[in-house]
Amino acid sequence: MQRMRDYYLALGYNNPYQWAHFSDVPFQPLSKPVTKSRVGLVTTAAPFKPEAGDQGPGAPYNAAAKFYRVYAGDASKDDFLGISHVSYDRDYTTAEDIGSYFPLGALRKTQAQGIIGEVSPRYYGLPTNRSQDTTKHQDCPDLLAMLQDDEVDLAILVAN
Amino acid sequence: MVLGSAKDIVEHCGVPRFVFSDFPLGNSAGKPNDPESQLDTLGLALDTLETAQSPATTVQSPQTWSKDVKWKADFYSIANLSAAELAKRRAEFDQIKTIGQGVRDQTMPT
Repeated sequence: MQRMRDYYLALGYNNPYQWAHFSDVPFQPLSKPVTKSRVGLVTTAAPFKPEAGDQGPGAPYNAAAKFYRVYAGDASKDDFLGISHVSYDRDYTTAEDIGSYFPLGALRKTQAQGIIGEVSPRYYGLPTNRSQDTTKHQDCPDLLAMLQDDEVDLAILVAN
Repeated sequence: MVLGSAKDIVEHCGVPRFVFSDFPLGNSAGKPNDPESQLDTLGLALDTLETAQSPATTVQSPQTWSKDVKWKADFYSIANLSAAELAKRRAEFDQIKTIGQGVRDQTMPT
């Protein structure tokens, strides 16, 4: 956090980002074992936009690829989702393997191996919205409604 | 359950359960082109779902990115950036913000 604050201060932005902070963190014990649970994958990766330019491996920071509403996709398909819209470490990684930031393939393997009950029918996209108010009061309720519609027992958010 | 690589940010926020991979940002689910790493990372998350007893539980993946840890020193480093490079990056980021705001305005009309 300090490194990022110093970086943007050096660039001349004098209003450092205030990351969300909650002293009271919720916790819900599992109501059934993982082997019997429906698991949903939540991602900050973006659906491909044909009009938004380079979104593939090694793409420069591409703000045109950003999205600002929660979305869901068919988890039985191999959709391309990208992370060109976020500030990942472009010096040391290229986002060339979707499995490193969107582990739907791995999740399917755990279902095949009986480690989880099943993969939920959809995966879910959560915007990296630089408004904590929007995240809390719009995106989280929208996401929760989708998870409940799909009767998801366990949600795994992969943040990028 | 959150899988992530920005340990201080996730812990500052506070989440019920967190599996931390000490990797460059963009690899929260495991190493690229390494299915075993990705399956191990997910497995640790599933284990942690069952074993965590209290909120704000962090479990660190035992995996390492590489023997060379230069990537950590280089993360958002301003040590070797000239004034001209800082100005260039500022201009680029201003442009990124403008484009992002445009997408946001189209998506969420006020």
